[in-house]
Amino acid sequence: MVEVLNVSSLSKSFGAIKVADDLSFQLELGECLGVIGPNGAGKSTLLNLIVGLIRPDSGRIILDGSDITGLRPHLRARRGIGRAFQIPQPFPHLTVYENVLAAATFAGGMHEDAAAEAAIEVLQLTALFAKAELLAGGLPLIDRKRLEFAKALASQPRLILLDEIAAGLTEPEVARLTEVIGGVKAGYAMIWIEHIPHALRAVADRILVLDFGRKVLEGAPGEVMDSPAVRRIYMGFAADDVA
Amino acid sequence: MHLRLVSGVVASILLSAGAPFVLGDGALRLWTEALLILTMAQMWNLLAGYAGLVSFGHQVFVAAGAYALFLAAEALNVSPYWVLPLAPLAAAFLAALVALPLFRLRDAYFSIGIWVFSEIVATLVTKSSLTGATAGLPLKTSSLMDLDWFEPTLFWIASVLALAATAGLLLLMRSEFGLGIMSVRDNDVAAMSVGVDVQRNRLIVFVISAAGCGAAGAVNFLSNLYLSPASAFDVSWVVNMMFIVVIGGIGTLEGPIIGTLLFFALREIVTGQLGLSGGWYLVALGSVAVGTMLWSPRGLWPALSARWGLRFMSVERKAPRLALQDKPNND
Repeated sequence: MVEVLNVSSLSKSFGAIKVADDLSFQLELGECLGVIGPNGAGKSTLLNLIVGLIRPDSGRIILDGSDITGLRPHLRARRGIGRAFQIPQPFPHLTVYENVLAAATFAGGMHEDAAAEAAIEVLQLTALFAKAELLAGGLPLIDRKRLEFAKALASQPRLILLDEIAAGLTEPEVARLTEVIGGVKAGYAMIWIEHIPHALRAVADRILVLDFGRKVLEGAPGEVMDSPAVRRIYMGFAADDVA
Repeated sequence: MHLRLVSGVVASILLSAGAPFVLGDGALRLWTEALLILTMAQMWNLLAGYAGLVSFGHQVFVAAGAYALFLAAEALNVSPYWVLPLAPLAAAFLAALVALPLFRLRDAYFSIGIWVFSEIVATLVTKSSLTGATAGLPLKTSSLMDLDWFEPTLFWIASVLALAATAGLLLLMRSEFGLGIMSVRDNDVAAMSVGVDVQRNRLIVFVISAAGCGAAGAVNFLSNLYLSPASAFDVSWVVNMMFIVVIGGIGTLEGPIIGTLLFFALREIVTGQLGLSGGWYLVALGSVAVGTMLWSPRGLWPALSARWGLRFMSVERKAPRLALQDKPNND
């Protein structure tokens, strides 16, 4: 298998608060790593460290065999990191097509017709093609979420980072989005932060549990979801404690 | 699309080439001033409307261009026309110099920061004997110019600047760079995340914007043959740019043209036709600004273009297949 991402001993503190505590994990092509943990566990911080919006205090991030720990965010995007933000971050005064075209052009490194074709392809894949000419600022939530995913895909990434992309959507919307993500999964390495267990179970190959910036557990989805440790973190007690 | 752009440029060139032979001296001077203000407004628009950086200090670049022209003409003892290219360079240099600290400030802090910078430079210039202190500078080598052709020449230069500013902006915004800069305006963190070098793009736009204002400022004071710090660093330069762009339609290329026409039409009607004092002119400007903001907060052009479906200089990119469907309507 091809290793895409290698995170080793990543640590970051804001004052006395540790948001990443000696985190290490690897990710291979075609693999989806689900990340769960309570609010404030450091899930989004982990993504910010990987994309370079936050600098780690120590540790290394290796993408496709080269160290990107010191690289600025736009250069990491060009190296092949596509990110869908938790709170959608469209370019509101640009059209949906231009939003995706920007990702294909700058992160994807494509130009003219090649960029346009890649953008159209992604729009079709994410069911946004009919809305290509609309301003992104006027889209409803489901389409904003789709646009986040579309921008990440158009970046021609090796690694896709999804931050609660299914949060706030209705059940049928979650099902559709999950289907799209599952459909393209084989071509990328993926990290998916999500609070919706069945969405993760359907797509993720492994699940990483974070709490206070530490890795509590890493393993197969069923195993992790059913473990007493996860129940204790989420609900304050494990099934065993009650019984 | 290119055909329309080229024919527009050619028509503008022919119009401005012939204008001095038709217009009277007063009208020619008025149009020269209007074209220079339009150039500055487009440059302010580039920064605020397309790159999201609202400057309250652009008068510093107007002054930088003007001082570069006056000082260089005297030092080299040549006709001011020859050293005119130094004006945009001086303004661009100043912009590049101050960009690093200024870009650490965000939003309103940037706006105020550049204003303060402008005041600092104004104070230095006013105190320095090299730049003529408070007395300012006369244009020493004005005798080297052919004064018979002085007014037409300035009009032609102003036309070239306004045309270059507008057509240049159109081409720039339709290019890949334009897409990048508009993405930075809309959301800088998201722009980084799709691979846009935010700081570099902002720097380039800031420097271009300063250079354009420097060139227009230099020509403006060249026509006066005299330069004083009070008028060069006058905050009303940026206030006028802002009025024109905001009233006309920020982030559009047609907006500043409409804004400029309105700005000068008001001035001519209030102070010329009606014979009222300059104070009433400001009252009229203020009323128009309030009225426009109530009726169409995004400025006149977006409202007009929406009402009549007008689009002359759109910078929106069409998705290829959708563009194909539109083709019959285009040319």
